[in-house]
Amino acid sequence: MALETHPDRGGPGTPLLQAKTLTKHFPLGGGAVVRAVDGVDFAVMKGETLGVVGESGCGKSTTARVVMQLIPQDKGEMLFDGEIVGGKDLTLKEYRRQAQMVFQDSYASLNPRLTIEDSIAFGPTVHGVSKAAAILRARDLLQRVGLDPARFAARYPHELSGGQRQRVNIARALALGPRLVILDEAVSALDKSVEAQVLNLLADLREEFGLTYIFISHDLNVVRFISDRVMVMYLGEVVEIGPVEELYNDPRHPYTKALLSAMPSMDPDNRTMEAPLTGDPPNPINPPEGCRFHPRCPQAQTVCSKVKPALVVTASEDGTRRAACHMEIPGSGHSRAPSLEAAA
Amino acid sequence: MSTLVAQPLVAIENLTVRFRGAQTVHAVNGVSLTLEPGKVLGILGESGSGKSVTLKTLLRLLPESRTDIGGSVRVDGRDVLALNPQDLSDYRGAVTSMIFQDPALALDPVYTVGEQIAEAIIRHEKIGRKAAMARALELLELVRIPSPARRLKAYPHEMSGGMRQRAMIALALAARPKLLLADEPTTALDATVQIQILLLLRQLQRDLNMGMLFVTHDIGVAVEVSDRLAVMYAGQIVETGTVRELIRDPQHPYTKGLLAANLHGAKKGERLEAIPGAPPALTEPPNACSFAPRCKFVQERCRAALPPAVQLGEGRVVRCVLAEQALVAAA
Repeated sequence: MALETHPDRGGPGTPLLQAKTLTKHFPLGGGAVVRAVDGVDFAVMKGETLGVVGESGCGKSTTARVVMQLIPQDKGEMLFDGEIVGGKDLTLKEYRRQAQMVFQDSYASLNPRLTIEDSIAFGPTVHGVSKAAAILRARDLLQRVGLDPARFAARYPHELSGGQRQRVNIARALALGPRLVILDEAVSALDKSVEAQVLNLLADLREEFGLTYIFISHDLNVVRFISDRVMVMYLGEVVEIGPVEELYNDPRHPYTKALLSAMPSMDPDNRTMEAPLTGDPPNPINPPEGCRFHPRCPQAQTVCSKVKPALVVTASEDGTRRAACHMEIPGSGHSRAPSLEAAA
Repeated sequence: MSTLVAQPLVAIENLTVRFRGAQTVHAVNGVSLTLEPGKVLGILGESGSGKSVTLKTLLRLLPESRTDIGGSVRVDGRDVLALNPQDLSDYRGAVTSMIFQDPALALDPVYTVGEQIAEAIIRHEKIGRKAAMARALELLELVRIPSPARRLKAYPHEMSGGMRQRAMIALALAARPKLLLADEPTTALDATVQIQILLLLRQLQRDLNMGMLFVTHDIGVAVEVSDRLAVMYAGQIVETGTVRELIRDPQHPYTKGLLAANLHGAKKGERLEAIPGAPPALTEPPNACSFAPRCKFVQERCRAALPPAVQLGEGRVVRCVLAEQALVAAA
């Protein structure tokens, strides 16, 4: 028996994934709470790649784990192709066939005692595919990720290089025929020359299998290359989201600006002269009131420390760009905010 | 006006490093480089290229019982490979000092930051504890740690990653070294912190007129801090030149591939010029071009003998037959 394919149920206009006010807090004891993900809303359209960027502690990996349902959310819900994840129309087991994940550590995410073809075939057998059919599919997938099955199928993870192991992890993620693949720093541990090979592979597979990606990375160059839209996170919240080139060329949130200008310049005649921010990103225990970025923001005013800015439509007629900054909210009380009349 | 020919701060000649074990690893295979006082040389390479091993040789940090080192290493007029234990101990920290990728491992968890810095000062300069602590405070101010007096009494785990990295830099500078070795010091840091540390290192290096060897896998980082670059592959330097020359006019196919793989300015939908394959295993010393198996311009000569070191200008060397052929064609 082979796995059935997944029909497009909601139609092309329905997002493949909608996350609504996703929240995940980790209690530390003594009343302290890590507010890792705090009311995050976003949608991923069918066939697109959503890049997620932000620094340590911004909640990007926790978001990925909640989306994958490796950990349950405290609040909020997710719709997958219009159906509630874990609801009666889409059980968790069924959802996990359609959503798969690739992690940063290529070695830790493979069972060292299984040959790589067994690792790739494991998921499908859990879902009722016969062992023989699953092995056949595993070998086909190895071929597609650029590993000759005759040479590699019977090897163990420790017999492969990091780049080869990550190809195996990608093949394993694809074994169940998913529609959504979450890549959490999936190329970050690879050397640059190998990283480029894997990025080309991911682009090819997206075409071939009609995949949708959520691509999490701290590397802004890589995110720009692979993403259609980018979501910027800071201390558990989304501060900006929009189409990749517009966001990179004209960032609206001061944190996005800082993050982009912290990238090394690559121009020996035009080196970076000043760091855009001082200090380290604060940790998400007891985040600041109001806008969480205000203690480090060069444009912060009174309103920023008091009122939390909503994620509002900005800099676009069609509503594709959003930012959570008082300077973008008409009448917010920030001196650089657009006036209410101009907005009306 | 008579010009004094400056003696290089670092002169490495034909360095080879082999690790003995069940299988011998030829980690460094004939590296030669020089560094002038007060200058920064960025050493760029991927995992296993020998960049960190080269750096560690300068402080003799490699396990001597199972390492064979050949060639010569001179720093500030000293023959580093011949230093006796007492001289080596005096040399470490006072002439050459090093900062690492992970400050949490480089700092001692059971002593305060102030005690660790003071210990290094007392070891090299015969001064009392109180004076040493005062110097330690100056050093924390120098690396711009906020509220330095309080941080002097802090343990490493009480500091954030960026602050620990600053504390480690202060420790490395404690005995006023002439040469600072930096081994991926910003790789583990967040983007907005990385640029702060890079700018700090650049300024300290200039203000204190130190020479610096900066090892990194990240071209963007190397460009921010370096005067000159050396690109390493499989234990050899394949190309050297000024930062401008390497970024604007790379000659070696590997350097070109690395620059393309950096994705700087790469647009969506374009295909990346990826270098196929992976670096060699280094179980044998090279007798041909190590990059030949991955090179799209490979010729018969590349597999038959070591590539020539082609001198293209002052301090501009490329180890590739293509460069030689281009030179002949131009002549």
